[in-house]
Amino acid sequence: MLLLWFFVTCQVSAIEVITHPHVIDNNLTKSQLRRIYTMRQLRWSDNSAITVFVLPSQHSLHQRFAKEQLQIFPYQLNRIWHKLTYSGLGVAPTVVESEQALIAAVINTPGAIGYLEDMTLAQVNSNKNKAVTSEIAGVEQAPVMEKKQQERVKGVVNVVTIKD
Amino acid sequence: MLSQLKTDILAVTSNVNSLLAAMSYFFTSLLLATLVVVLSVNSLHATENESFTSTQQFQLHGFLSQGVIDVNGSDFVNDDGELSTELTELGLNASYQFNDKFRFAAQLVYLDGGNRYAQGARLDYALIDWSAYNNENWQANIYLGRFKNNHWLYSSSRDVPFARPSIILPQSVYFDGFRDIAVGSDGIAAKISHSTDDYGNFDWQISYGASPISKEQTKNILSEYALGDAKQDYDSQTSLYWQPDFSSWRFGISLLDAGFSYQGADNGDRFYDAQFNFQFYTFNALFEAEIWEFSGEIYQQRFTIDGFYHPSFKIDNIGQGFYLQSRYKLTPRLTLLARYEDFYLNKDDKDGEKLEQESGGLIPYYFGFHKDVTLGINFDVTSNFSARMEYHWVKGAGRLTPVVAPNPNINNSEDWQMWAVQLMYWF
Repeated sequence: MLLLWFFVTCQVSAIEVITHPHVIDNNLTKSQLRRIYTMRQLRWSDNSAITVFVLPSQHSLHQRFAKEQLQIFPYQLNRIWHKLTYSGLGVAPTVVESEQALIAAVINTPGAIGYLEDMTLAQVNSNKNKAVTSEIAGVEQAPVMEKKQQERVKGVVNVVTIKD
Repeated sequence: MLSQLKTDILAVTSNVNSLLAAMSYFFTSLLLATLVVVLSVNSLHATENESFTSTQQFQLHGFLSQGVIDVNGSDFVNDDGELSTELTELGLNASYQFNDKFRFAAQLVYLDGGNRYAQGARLDYALIDWSAYNNENWQANIYLGRFKNNHWLYSSSRDVPFARPSIILPQSVYFDGFRDIAVGSDGIAAKISHSTDDYGNFDWQISYGASPISKEQTKNILSEYALGDAKQDYDSQTSLYWQPDFSSWRFGISLLDAGFSYQGADNGDRFYDAQFNFQFYTFNALFEAEIWEFSGEIYQQRFTIDGFYHPSFKIDNIGQGFYLQSRYKLTPRLTLLARYEDFYLNKDDKDGEKLEQESGGLIPYYFGFHKDVTLGINFDVTSNFSARMEYHWVKGAGRLTPVVAPNPNINNSEDWQMWAVQLMYWF
């Protein structure tokens, strides 16, 4: 029974927070991540602009990300983002339709942040690594940096460690 | 000579009116055409794998919504009480980031709400957003131009159908008769946001400006017989919001002080020059959990009139009210709404009897208050498309236009009801 339970929980994949390879912040606290997604922190620690990408609000991964990683309900995020977008106060995250579009957006946008299922990320790294890297020639990482961050960088995007 | 002048003025007025009508038609057509273009371009974008940097700098968003509304027993939407399609809200906005510090944003909306507000297109906001200071914990922005009122719970999203909780908002705060004045101002505003891990999030805002008042609004607010010019002299507001760290609660307070003046027309105006002052203080709370959501605002207003009916006429009324609202998420897509609202224009005359006595019976007692019980349902069909339905049981005519000189002939009933259905799409 316990084994069965273990098996079932393992089926639910983890969510990884990813950034553009040039983003220098590899660790974020839960508070920081929440600030970034509620548009209360607009810059990385080197003062470069953060560009936030999300999936549509009814996408199951978005709903899980909001609740598990941000500890905020998707409808609360909508309230905050709609207010920014339709009152002129600020800019809300950019919505992309699929995980594939989200990866492409994060790879192609300096300062970008997004999220993926770890299985999707593994697929990207094994299948599309070469193709995508050649596509984004010019944003490849410096070898020294790659060595230093081998643990955190899993290919064409940075994987951010989220701490409590 | 005088009659010639009168004819000239009439001719000019009618020319101006047709010009305004033509402009309104032009803007509406432009808005609709742009919406159609944007929608088709948007669907193209979805299939392209383009550079996202440019979409970050320049963003286009908008919304389309249409509904039907039926009011029985008041002139809230129309005078004849028939089912109405005067429930149209369209919007299109653009935001362009010039550089790290400056952004331009503007929104054009088209509204049709029958008697609720003037039908037509308006420039909702057009502002320069200066990001004056920015770090991990602080943000300071200065907004110059036409900005939206961001001080009350739903003031900045009152015209954005899917961003507000119901089709018709609590009229004691979000009175549609005051919409064009209360929705924003031309002037300067500032917002300072502070986010901490220990004490939570703080947002402090301050704004100073004024709104233009059209002839139609003058008639809506004052009286259909007011021939002179009404103008807002100033509108100063401030608000503070606090959300404890990772809390489901958020609390806010807001203060408003606004001055208006009326200059009577030289000929045939039955009203005199006047000064009006409006002060409004609110406290609000919001609780957001997974299934339940509660919100409410409690407020006091002070309204003074100096002149208008007679050069020495004076009035100083303190009105009070509140509403409590709960939303229940039956499923992730289906939300139920229940709300109770209670408001009276004079705290020393809650049942309006003094109002009736002092007006010599001209204004019935029920013009002294407004109570509304609302039940509603909202279904999110997709991430960008929702349908909504609601029913209101209203007691009192305290939130019907015209405000200063009410119309008891049409609004001859203390109890009135309305229901509405609305479809909303946004991008």
